[in-house]
Amino acid sequence: MSIFIDRQDRVLVQGITGGEGSFWTKHMIDLGTTVVAGVTPGKEGQLVEGVPVFHTVRRAVAERPADAAMLFVPPRFTKDAVFEALDAGIKKIVTIADGIPLHEALEIRAAAVSCGARVIGGNTSGVISPGRAMMGMFPFWIDRVYKPGRIGVMTRSGSLTNEVTAMVVRSGFGVSSLIGVGGDPVPGTRFAEMLPDFQADDLTDAVVIIGELGGTMEEEVAEAMRDLVFRKPVVAFLGGRNAPKGKRMGHAGAIVTGGKGTVEGKTAALHAAGALVAARPSQVGELLREALEGRNHKKERT
Amino acid sequence: MKLHEHEAKDVFAKAGIPVPRSLLAADAEGAARAAVAIGFPCVLKAQVLRGGRGKAGLIKLVKSEGEAREVAASLFAGPHEVRKLLVEEAVAIDREVYLSITVDPASAEAVVLACAEGGVEIEELAARAPGKILRERVRLTEGLLPYRARNVAYALGLEGDIAKKVASLLEALWRVFRANDAELAEINPLFITKSGGVVAGDGKLSIDDNALFRQAGREPGRDYYDSDAAFEAAAEGIPYLQFDGDISLMCAGAGLTTVVYDLIVDEGGSVANYLEFGGPNYKKAVRAMELCLKNKPKVILIVTFGTIARADIMAEGITEAILKLKPSCPIVACIRGTGEEKAVEMLRAAGLEPLFDTEEAVRKAVTLAGAARVAGAAKGAVE
Repeated sequence: MSIFIDRQDRVLVQGITGGEGSFWTKHMIDLGTTVVAGVTPGKEGQLVEGVPVFHTVRRAVAERPADAAMLFVPPRFTKDAVFEALDAGIKKIVTIADGIPLHEALEIRAAAVSCGARVIGGNTSGVISPGRAMMGMFPFWIDRVYKPGRIGVMTRSGSLTNEVTAMVVRSGFGVSSLIGVGGDPVPGTRFAEMLPDFQADDLTDAVVIIGELGGTMEEEVAEAMRDLVFRKPVVAFLGGRNAPKGKRMGHAGAIVTGGKGTVEGKTAALHAAGALVAARPSQVGELLREALEGRNHKKERT
Repeated sequence: MKLHEHEAKDVFAKAGIPVPRSLLAADAEGAARAAVAIGFPCVLKAQVLRGGRGKAGLIKLVKSEGEAREVAASLFAGPHEVRKLLVEEAVAIDREVYLSITVDPASAEAVVLACAEGGVEIEELAARAPGKILRERVRLTEGLLPYRARNVAYALGLEGDIAKKVASLLEALWRVFRANDAELAEINPLFITKSGGVVAGDGKLSIDDNALFRQAGREPGRDYYDSDAAFEAAAEGIPYLQFDGDISLMCAGAGLTTVVYDLIVDEGGSVANYLEFGGPNYKKAVRAMELCLKNKPKVILIVTFGTIARADIMAEGITEAILKLKPSCPIVACIRGTGEEKAVEMLRAAGLEPLFDTEEAVRKAVTLAGAARVAGAAKGAVE
């Protein structure tokens, strides 16, 4: 079992005939993903990497049932594409789009919740369970970063994930599943919502959270730990510790507003819940070791 | 994109929200004429995009034409880069309240914030007395139904005609929020006048940058940015923040660039600018370096770890930028990711010593910047 996506999940790709869509579809297939259909209006009948293309999601799933939809669709058309997938009964959706209008992000999330579906993104690299399947855009060139292993990763940033995950791997660990929730202020799925899946996953021993300033997602992780919803070790690395007040640091979601969202506050909440927080990327590996050994000691004592 | 007060009030007025009578002035003489037309006493309000204008002396009551001219001249000459003044009638105020609509990211709903105390900084109030802030959540698909607006108005302790006016004003503010793709639509303070009216004393409207493509006529000009470089970067679509330190960041990826910023501060260094040329901008190395050089940095620090933003393409751009711009400051480069082997070769050919570890690169940049500062000081002493 892995988180969100596994080999047997049938994936449909919206926007498959575009440059990004066709390029990453190939790499998704190469990494083990079962891609069953593509959708681009007006392009039905074509094949992309051997995958048949349909005009609409409805027409695609009628012939090729799908469990998940991967969207390579520009931000301004993302709401339409997400709703189209939801309407066709698809319950797992990943959107990489960077720049989804804020009001539409709210509508996307509300629609996903009301359909009992999960939308990951936007503004993310996607989801990968190394050695099993991938939805999104992950380096296909390097197992220095995405080597299979037993550490779950959740992240708000693609570039930082490469940086931090490389450190995890350098310390002798590998990745079970990685969920990029994305850098937007209102992501389709929040960190804490994925924790029950990681808790249940017997391929995951501990979770690394790559967070940053802004919002309350890291605090929600701390809450889930305190409430024992999540009981595995957590190591966090948070960007924006020294960010000046009121500046939006890169990601739309990376800003302190109303006094909320400081890295200081997030660190305190995570510490209080028993998580370890790394001051720099190179510390993540050793803290993971510490967290996992600490847990084993506890087990031996009890 | 944050709108200036006068722009926000124009939007409010068109939506049926009462605003004070006002005229816009671009110089002291114009302000004096406007003040005469509005009548005395009136208020001169500097149109700058910063909070706490009252405390900063950027809002002044004037009682005569001479005073208006004099105060306007000092506002234009002050340190705040004031380009326009809003000359506004002074309203006879009975009381002030706070109203805003924004997004609550955690619930993924819109939220109306209201407070019976107007004119205070809401962030300061949230820290001091959070219980005084009323919250009414609104689902976007449902919209702000009239009963919710009434909930807010009566919870503020308003009564009679005033409560009804505030409720209907809040419905108008909701229409502004939706139609303008706002992150924030705020009236602080909302005046309840002695004559029983409601008037927007101030106006803030912040438009979601991701929705600017469908907000006709909203193109932020130079006066929306705090430096020429920031304005030019925005025109290129390059994420950029202006600081005043030594090290220019020319990095890829928002999260990574933010962490490089953190690490520099940790090492005792200072940042001249945050610049990110990843994502769709990874072919713009020349332009990126040009923008960095505007800050006369002591070091340019390049850190990338890209997937789509290919390392070899970025290295090619960096090589071209070095040839074309001949930067006099040292460049520290740490480029990893797709195509990194080729990138390393190209950087070596361009005379750089590529590094592979972010933290090492940061330490080197901070050391070089420190050495340059010492050398600069020594040179200054000799001269």
